[in-house]
Amino acid sequence: MDFLFQSILNGILAGCIYALFAMGLTLIYGVLNFVNFAHGELIMWGAYFLYFLMGKPFGLPLPIALIPALFLTILLGIGMDRFVFKPLRTANRLTLLIAALGLSFLLRNGAQFLWGAELRTYGFEIKRGLRILGISITLNQVAIILTSIVCIVFVYLLFHRSRLGKSMRAVSDNLELARVVGIDSKHAIQFAWVIASVLAGVGGILLALDTNLQPGMGLINLVKAFAATLLGGVGNIWGALLGGIVIGLAENLGVLVISPGYKDAIAFGIMVLMLLIRPSALLGRQE
Amino acid sequence: MLEIKGLSKSFGGIHAVSNCSLGLKDYVITGLIGPNGSGKTTLFNLITGSIPPDKGEIYFKGNRIDGHLPYKVAQHGIIRTFQLTRIFPKMTVLENMLLAPLHQTGEILWSLWVKRRRIRDEEKAYRERALGLIETVGLSHLKDQFAENLSYGQQKLLELGRAFMADPKMILLDEPTAGINPSLIRKIMKLILKMKESGKVFFIIEHNMGVIIELCDWVFVLDNGEKIAEGKPKEIQNDPRVIEAYLGV
Amino acid sequence: MDLFLHLCVMIIIYIIFAMSLNLEVGYTGLFNFGHVAFFGIGAYTSALLTLQQVPFELSLFIALAMAGLWGFLLSIPSLRLRGDYFGIVTLGFGEIIRMVFQNEVWLTRGPMGLPGIPKPILFSYRFATLPQYLLLTLGFAALTFLILRIILRSPFGRVLRAIREDEVAAEALGKNVFFFRIKSFVIGSLFAGLAGTLWGHYTTFISPGDFTLLETILVLLIVVLGGKGTEWGPVLGAFVLIFFQESLRFLRLPAEWTRYLAPLQQMIFGGLLIVLMIFRPEGLLKEKGRGSNAGN
Repeated sequence: MDFLFQSILNGILAGCIYALFAMGLTLIYGVLNFVNFAHGELIMWGAYFLYFLMGKPFGLPLPIALIPALFLTILLGIGMDRFVFKPLRTANRLTLLIAALGLSFLLRNGAQFLWGAELRTYGFEIKRGLRILGISITLNQVAIILTSIVCIVFVYLLFHRSRLGKSMRAVSDNLELARVVGIDSKHAIQFAWVIASVLAGVGGILLALDTNLQPGMGLINLVKAFAATLLGGVGNIWGALLGGIVIGLAENLGVLVISPGYKDAIAFGIMVLMLLIRPSALLGRQE
Repeated sequence: MLEIKGLSKSFGGIHAVSNCSLGLKDYVITGLIGPNGSGKTTLFNLITGSIPPDKGEIYFKGNRIDGHLPYKVAQHGIIRTFQLTRIFPKMTVLENMLLAPLHQTGEILWSLWVKRRRIRDEEKAYRERALGLIETVGLSHLKDQFAENLSYGQQKLLELGRAFMADPKMILLDEPTAGINPSLIRKIMKLILKMKESGKVFFIIEHNMGVIIELCDWVFVLDNGEKIAEGKPKEIQNDPRVIEAYLGV
Repeated sequence: MDLFLHLCVMIIIYIIFAMSLNLEVGYTGLFNFGHVAFFGIGAYTSALLTLQQVPFELSLFIALAMAGLWGFLLSIPSLRLRGDYFGIVTLGFGEIIRMVFQNEVWLTRGPMGLPGIPKPILFSYRFATLPQYLLLTLGFAALTFLILRIILRSPFGRVLRAIREDEVAAEALGKNVFFFRIKSFVIGSLFAGLAGTLWGHYTTFISPGDFTLLETILVLLIVVLGGKGTEWGPVLGAFVLIFFQESLRFLRLPAEWTRYLAPLQQMIFGGLLIVLMIFRPEGLLKEKGRGSNAGN
């Protein structure tokens, strides 16, 4: 029974992280109307930036390295938009997605070039956690949950209560109209990338804290982020949270019954299941 | 030919079409007018199956077609054009036309291997007919051009020609003369009248009252999703309800 | 000479692989980013069967059927989706299939791979030596090219292109867009399986690591570089890229360099895709049709 509760806790933990991934993905989708196939690499590089700053020659402790790491992630996100997506703003969808896929491949191999394909970790010892109600929870994991909650609340406030949030929503509704009316779409878009990058970076770091780093981690987390987005409704911030938690729980409870080698496939399976049951929200026509 | 009974469709809280009932007879050009947002295109979309109705029934030649998918509706013999022309950009004018006929043997994968002669003969016949229609709409000199290279007016003619090529029983035209210069409008009207002679039924959404008056035998008027009037064009023109709808309150 | 023949075989196998993707992406406008899955299914199916002494003719047939079947199964739930979503689903599928190859050790021997795949014996003729194998692949490539050409130049192919251009308009003309897409996807998957089969029997050893995103990126690059939606585009693209890829392999470089060379080469592929999409999305060979503006 304790085992079950432990799995549930782990599931919620993973779910919070996936929620961050999904929120970043859905944010870009909402503002620029395409699925950023390189979002997984933004996540991955966020984790690696921290690794880089914590290692030689910087050797910074985690709390200090965090800010510059996120800053670099933001630069990467803005760079992605500036050099790849902006030139393709008016291109047809296939062209844009192929470029995004190419970008993802470029970034993935860039990380492998710099750090190799081996698994890496941040090097923290596995500390004994607190035991509450028969389940064990480490300080790391508490940090993960708290950080996720903070991020989620922050994004909600930003999106729904601030002027910038309003302009982002206007841009997502109708880019042309927003421009005509004078809403600064350029800034709104840039700001969306900043937020998405922070969410991706934080999520990546938390994931790497909880598990490990490797250059290929982007792809499978993109799929999970997308599955969570789909579950919660594309463009819906709270939905992203819900979707993330569902996937996290499904994964951790699922491995109690199926082979752990397929843990990462559970998100995909949920996605296919949803498609078979076919909520009509997903059946959009190609533009 | 077309019977609509009690058709309703809402989006969110907005009643795009409310309890609409109307009927189209054979050998008739019928017009559909109304202020912007009155539900005309939605009605077309309901007929062609792009969106399913919330309530009501649609009958075509006695067969029930509401809720059918668009391709099935088209296969019944109802072809439409769009407000913003939908031609196939990176395909030639001729190819655009050749796509129109329904139930082409060559479109069935299996037939490519076992019915080669029949396909060849069909293609030849289609090609001849297509070239004839291209001539009729006056685009012969552009037949091998990518459709995206045509001007707006030429694209409208292409879409019209393509609709004729499909040899439908009923054609729905969504604002066929929008954004067109007057001489082209005349040309399009002549084409429509010519097609009417060969027995085709037209249902036309238009804002240009001149076109409606000249072409249509009967007109329906929508406002806020409801049918508020119907009759001969001259009567409609002077109907106070119609005038009020257009002036708006 | 052997190097030259090897190059030819690889290029030809990838021509088949690329032609199959070109049908889906170039002609029908499907965003298939998991094409490697069917390549792998074809390879593993044929390998497993022939290793069990099943005659090659039958193995090949079953391998193609499996590839086509999985194409069908994947497309049913996902082909109604809009482009982006379909792209992610296929991307995920590619990863999942790789996981299956990796995890189902009882079937595929997992990471240890399948060694000793026998050379094909077709109609009592054994294609064992390099020149013989070249002949085999050439034959299949020519067959593929002809079959696809018939399909693409037919009214069926015309509908596929129309769907690519404007599926709403195609549907409004009475074409069952969903069915056409499925047929296109299944055919594409089938020929991808053929390419995979030929590849497996050529290298005689396959493992899950051979069927990753890299293969998808490579074949996608071939299709878009050569010119998607053209008949000869995949051929040209395969020549250029496989030549580049294989020649690097044969440069006698120090072992320490390979750790950096592989990701670097792949970075180039990724970068090339980006640059291509921004500056010349049509690729090298453009689709036919007068380019000038007609005006009025």
